[in-house]
Amino acid sequence: MIRTWCSISMLAGFAATSLFAQGPGRHMGPGPGDFDMLRPEFGISRKVVTGAPYSASAVTQFTQTLANGDHIQRTTTAAVARDSQGRTRMDRSIAAVGALSAAGGERRAIVIHDPVAGMSYALDPSSHTARSMQIPAPRSGTGARPEGRAHRSQASVKTEDLGTQTIQGVSAEGKRVTRVIPAGKEGNEKEIDIVTETWYSPDLQVVVMSKTSDPRFGDSVYQLNSISRAEPDPALFTVPSDYTVKQGGAMFRHGPAPAPAQ
Amino acid sequence: MNEDRELLPELLEDLRALASDGPREAPPHIEERLKIEFRRRKRHRSLVAWSPVGAAAAAAAIALLFWSHSNKPAAGQNPPVTAAQPIAPAADDVSEASFYPLPEAEGLPAIENAMVVRVELPVSSLQLMGVPVGEERAGASVQADLLLGQDGLARGVRLAP
Repeated sequence: MIRTWCSISMLAGFAATSLFAQGPGRHMGPGPGDFDMLRPEFGISRKVVTGAPYSASAVTQFTQTLANGDHIQRTTTAAVARDSQGRTRMDRSIAAVGALSAAGGERRAIVIHDPVAGMSYALDPSSHTARSMQIPAPRSGTGARPEGRAHRSQASVKTEDLGTQTIQGVSAEGKRVTRVIPAGKEGNEKEIDIVTETWYSPDLQVVVMSKTSDPRFGDSVYQLNSISRAEPDPALFTVPSDYTVKQGGAMFRHGPAPAPAQ
Repeated sequence: MNEDRELLPELLEDLRALASDGPREAPPHIEERLKIEFRRRKRHRSLVAWSPVGAAAAAAAIALLFWSHSNKPAAGQNPPVTAAQPIAPAADDVSEASFYPLPEAEGLPAIENAMVVRVELPVSSLQLMGVPVGEERAGASVQADLLLGQDGLARGVRLAP
């Protein structure tokens, strides 16, 4: 009993000091609007897709129009790949995140998700270090479309079917979701329309293109280019031998585990 | 404590009896009583040693609770503006659920594959992402984890554990 209370008190104290330690004045950080990329931490894969290998370059363009009419434009790229066994790799340049730019210039972060070995790796090319984490074995089931947990304002939602199109040589099904925040709901004088257009490939089971327009934060266009359906080089899904691997903990989730899909 | 004192003479007597019989293993009942006594004393010492730490930690926790509560907005107002507002996760929590969902991600497609990167950023950058943070803390910097979707756009944020 005594030990339990001591432990609880210590944990509470630790939590309190951790939070206060994040207070103002602790760091002399980057200037407003920027960030310093420190390191990749880990990756999350919502589902395991086997038997549908591909590789592609992913390009995201973000545009924000400021009140004075000026524009902020950022483009980020990533090389993505998945093999037949469901192993994935994302090699991303972290030059910007939305409207924010990296203060120290472009940095890369790589995440390898290997459900076959039950491991996930976060690679930092600048330091040649990798963090490894165990991932839970995939559960059986159908590959349902992932619906993420997201902030939702008091918007009404309208969904339109856009039919099927071929994008970058891949057949994709389109839908447009319009979220309407009525006037006055968030202090807004006029109605706010947030429009998201998504093109999803049932074959690859990935979004091959998406466009989002949110008057509050900006517009973004994401697209997979140069899609190849050949089996990627297996070396992409292993940690290079010149990396120092640091052991991380086991991953656990509060939400549903990823479901494998064929 | 009184119980401890009452047990001591008995224990000493048993030990003397044991010594007078020459070297041998302690009888099971004495060994058991010794163990009980050692455990009791160890527990007591631990309590004494940890009491100040526990008290300080408890005080800090209470201060935190009070501070959090005092920063809560009145009904109908915007959320409060503090750097500590995004959830502070357990050190080994790698779930999406441990991230504060960003308003700027409201219209973005659902996550298929995500990457979490640790960054240091001024609190004002959190404001740009739609996190309600007060002007008085805008100049401060924090270390945070950003949850980036397959498109590299942020879906969530949390303070670094």
